[in-house]
Formats: sequence, C-alpha cells, structure tokens
Amino acid sequence: MKRIAALAVLPLFLLACPKHEPVSTTATTTTTTTAAPMKVGLLTTGSINDGGWNAIAYEGLQQIHKQLGAEISHQETKTPAEFEEGFRSYGAKGFDLAFGHGFEFQDAALKAGKEYPKTVFITTSGSSVAPNVSPMVFQLEQATYLLGVIAARESKTGKAGLVGGINLPSIASTFLAFKAGAQSVNPKFEVKEIYTGNFDDVGAAKLATLSLINAGCDFIFHQANEAGRGVFQACQERKVRCFGSNKNQNDMAPDVIVASAVLDVPAAILHMARLVHDHQFKPQVYWLGMHDDIVSLIWNDKLKTTLSPQTVAEVSRIEADIRSGKFEVPRGKF
Amino acid sequence: MNIEQRQRRLRLPIPDSRLPIAVLAAALSIALLSASGIAFGHSPRELLSILISGSVGSTFALQGTLLKSIPLLLTGLSVAIAFRAGVWNIGGEGQFLAGALGAFLAARYGMIAALAASLIAGAIWASIASAMRLWRNAPEVLTTILLNFIAIHLLGYAVNGPLQEASGKYPQSDAVPMTSMLPMLGDLHAGIILAVIAAIAAWFLLYRTSEGLRLRASGFNRSAAKWAGVNVDAQLVRAMAISGAMAGLAGGIELLGVTHRLFERFAAGYGYAGIAVALLAQLHPLGTLASAFFFGALTTGAGELQRTAGISSTVATFGQAIVILVMIVFTRSARSAGVSPAGVAASRRHGRAEER
Repeated sequence: MKRIAALAVLPLFLLACPKHEPVSTTATTTTTTTAAPMKVGLLTTGSINDGGWNAIAYEGLQQIHKQLGAEISHQETKTPAEFEEGFRSYGAKGFDLAFGHGFEFQDAALKAGKEYPKTVFITTSGSSVAPNVSPMVFQLEQATYLLGVIAARESKTGKAGLVGGINLPSIASTFLAFKAGAQSVNPKFEVKEIYTGNFDDVGAAKLATLSLINAGCDFIFHQANEAGRGVFQACQERKVRCFGSNKNQNDMAPDVIVASAVLDVPAAILHMARLVHDHQFKPQVYWLGMHDDIVSLIWNDKLKTTLSPQTVAEVSRIEADIRSGKFEVPRGKF
Repeated sequence: MNIEQRQRRLRLPIPDSRLPIAVLAAALSIALLSASGIAFGHSPRELLSILISGSVGSTFALQGTLLKSIPLLLTGLSVAIAFRAGVWNIGGEGQFLAGALGAFLAARYGMIAALAASLIAGAIWASIASAMRLWRNAPEVLTTILLNFIAIHLLGYAVNGPLQEASGKYPQSDAVPMTSMLPMLGDLHAGIILAVIAAIAAWFLLYRTSEGLRLRASGFNRSAAKWAGVNVDAQLVRAMAISGAMAGLAGGIELLGVTHRLFERFAAGYGYAGIAVALLAQLHPLGTLASAFFFGALTTGAGELQRTAGISSTVATFGQAIVILVMIVFTRSARSAGVSPAGVAASRRHGRAEER
C-alpha cells in the first residue's frame, strides 16, 4: 500500500517542479506601469451562474474587458477570510481595481485598501470610504418615485399596491420612494404593502397581488425578483396595470406593464472602471442613478399612449429635474 | 484491563495502512483535479502548478492556507471525536454558529470569556441532539442536521433583529470589542495556537486517558463496552458535548480572529467540511492537523485557480468529494462486514493506539 501511495505522489512532483519557477517569477514582476493594460478583479459571494445578482456583476466585468481592454479576473468567495485573501491577492498582483459585489466586502476592502494603496477597492453598496476605497450605491428610488407619480395620476381608485419579497432596507427604500412620488401628486393617495417573505414563491406573490387588487388597488408595483412573475399573472388575469422592476420587464406582460424601473448593474461596474481607468476616481460614496444612466424609467410604448399626455409630461419634467440634480428623491436610511 | 483485552482480540487482521490510504486519497484528488484542467483548456501541469503556488508557494498563500485550516481543524476534530464514539454528529455547522453566537454575546467580558462561551454554546447545541436521543431515541444523524437549519435561521433572525448593527443598515452585527479580538501573529491570529492545542488535547483525551478508552470502546462496539462496565449512554452524551464544544470553539475563533462580526452566511460550510477533514485524517486527532492543512491548501489554491485561470471554485468542492469517496471506498473494501464507516475507522485505529 505504501508503495502505491508513493507511486501516486511521484508524478505529481514531477509535474509540479519544472513549471513552478516561472509562476513565482511572474508574480514578482507584476508592478503596475501605465502602458500595461488595466487589471480588474471581481469578488462575488455566490456563483456567477445564478442568473441574478452575481451574474449581472460578471456581465459588467466582461464589459470592462471588451470596452476598456482590461485584463479581468473573478473569484467566488464565501467567507470574510476569502474576501480578504481575494482583495489582498489582487492588491499584491498590482491590480488597478477590485470590486466586492455586496455590502459584506466593506471590512475586507478597508483592510486590503490600507495595505495596497495603489489598488482601488469598490464595494457594491455600503458606506465605508478610505483614500482608495469607495462604495457605489444604486438609486433605483429615482425611478420608483416616478412610478408612484404615474400611479397616483392615472389611478381611479386612489390606491396602489406594492408586493415585496423580503423586507430588506434596499427594498423598503424603493417602496418609500414610490409612496413619496404618489403622495406628491395626491397626499391622500393610499399605498398598501405586502411582503411575501421570499423572492421565489410565484404563487404567494400572485395571491398577494390578488388580495391587493381585491382591496381596490388599480396599480401594482413589485420588488419580488423571480416571484414577480406571479404579480404579472394576477395583473393580466384581472386587467390591472402594473410596473416592472430592476430589469426592463415590459415584454413579460405587455398588456398591463406600463413601465419598468430599471437598474443597469453592468453599466455601473463599467462606469466605475472607467473612472479608475481615466484617473478620475475620488474617494466618496458614489450615488449612481439617472444622472449616470445607471437607473432609468423605461416606458412600454404600447401603453404609454393610453396615459394622459399631462402625466407623461409631468414624469419627464421630474425626470429631468432628478437627472440635473435639481430634485432629490427621498430614500430610506441605509 | 478488561476492555483492552477484548479489543486486542477483536482487532482485525488488516495491516496498518492509514497513512498510505490518506496520502493516496489526497494524491488522487489532486491528480484528478489537475486532469480536469483539460476540460477548461489548461494543461494539467499548468493547473497543478497554479494550485501549488497558490496554496503554499508564497508566504502570502501559506498564510491564507493556514487561516482557513484553523476552523477546518477544529470542526474536523469535532467530527473525529463524535465518530470515534460512534455518534453521527453532522451538526458541526449548527454548533459552529452556536459557538459564534455565544462568543459574540460574551465578547463584552473579554476574550477568555468569549472563547469559553463558544465552547459552552457549541456543547449545549450538540447536547440538544443527545437529549432527544435519550428521551425519544431520535437518531443524531437527523437531529443534528435539523439543528443546523435552526441555528442558521436563529442567526439570520439575530442579525436582522436584536443583534443588528446599531446603524441598522445591513443584516450584520456590530464588530466585537477590540479587547475580545484574538491577538495577531503577523497576518495570522492566535487561534492557530488554540486549534493546535485542541488537536493535541483531543489526542491526549482519546489515547491517554481512561475516558478516551471508554469513548473509543463505546464507538467500537456498544454491547462490548456495556458488558465491560461502560455507561455507554453517558459516554455518548459526553462525547457529543465535547464534539459540539470543538465546533463551537471553531465558530468563536472565526468570530474573534477573522470576521469580528456576525452575518447571515457565517458558517459557510466549515461544519460540513469538517467531515471530509476527519475522514481524511481517519478520525485521528493528530492526522487532522495534516488533513485540515490539506483542505485549507486546496481551498486557497482553488481561489488562485479561479483568479488566474478562470476555473470555477467548484474544483475545491470536487476535490473534497473525491477525497471522501476514496476514503469510503478504501475503508469499505478493507473490511467486508462494516458497522459504519466510523466503526470501521475506529476499529482500525485501535491497533496503533495500543502500541504506544
């Protein structure tokens, strides 16, 4: 048995030894020069094949590769020990920029940032800022505020319904902005909320939507991710108008979805990379929204014409004010 | 001693082949991993060299490997002790979380209190399964795994509710006070010393005390142990508590040494990975030192593979699975009438233990 084991190990060393040296030399020669292509790393907490949060981040990374010609690298990290190791490894290899896709990466970014001052560390959401560490925070609220305005202008019952997955600060904040938008038009406008408790139970989302419709809501907005399908089903059955969220969902139910509040995460990641690439990066919280074309309101052209022209005009006027910074949309404190 | 004589008689005519089997399993998994590089368009040699340089090839990589070995070592010990006693404690994940929660709550009273709390919390969490075993004969293999889910949700509730950070922004706790954090030894935290001490202590307990002998006897053959005068039930309860304490300590050390705060996915599979660690070590506490290092290196190397060669992190999981399969196949084929893999491995161990 011992002999078998020895035989099994032997080829491994034979394989390992000759190639070992070149690898360590490349590691030592990697110092950043301006002529070399930009190097960008991305850490995610889950698989980039999840078709959602992590997939869109990876899509952004690939765009950085395509549009900026950057060398890209990705690692799926599960524990804070791995967050730190991933960040520090990018720092040690002279990466220009490293993303941590989630608020979880803040502590690791601060630690690695101190150690590798030449690398910029960006976390998706968060509030920790250091000379080379910044969070980017998405302002989907800007678009959901406009949806609230549309609902209040067009509603006949004076009531709208919101269906949420889990009551997370980021989601509650988009609802808060929706409510603020609606009540800016009509202070008595009623907004009812239901959280189903998860993001994938289509049936529960559908039931929640039906109960809101039964309670008199004639506009529905959801933040239920995958379960949003159930919201659209209910709205189609009952011919109640609704809104899409995060992605352009207009063609998921083209007869009832009036518009979608869209968040373009790949564009946000590309935006940050461009700032670092052009030496425009400054340490601060990056509020990314309509101004940077990261957040937008996308109309369903088929239904846009059925709305009153005044509503559409008012929405584009507020949109312009948000874009120019003249008007600031309220958001939850997080 | 009576039991010892029985064990001597029961010892199986198998040559002492623990180390070769473990080395073979490890080597086989690395070889298969390297070969899998072909599927990703990399030569096995290139893949292997990245794997090695990325796990032990530099001080930086080595530190990463050691850092990850610490929780693996402790959860590995936890599994080894339980399996030795013949109890299927696969609740390491839950006990890890219980330990972290305990440490967090006690952190304000200092580091020692926090570490002690993690030991106790892990032991208590594991003892719930023992209590259910004694009360309704509920099998640990079910109760411990179900307790994992309860612990995961309990932690989720805690960081979204009572223990959420004061600013209330994210589902995570505030950092523990500085006074309770483990001192740093360069880039490593002092938990590594505690973990190594725990491994030696576990070995001493199992092989140098009568308590350990009774524990192993209970795992090896319950009836024989009972006949020899061992209170098997009490023995199993104690083994479970010690096992839970080890996993709890792992959680406490991870909190005080690395993360400093609690958040939802805190355990991240360390509890389950402990099973692989223990099996590769063939349930020997000192073997756990090597196998925890191996798995720590595998995970760290896999991270480097992902960063430089774009190869999915599942390779580490894949490697783990191969190791477990090889260990099971070899220990199975070595003995036809197996009670359980734990029993088989335990029986194998006795030969060595008595040689001193």
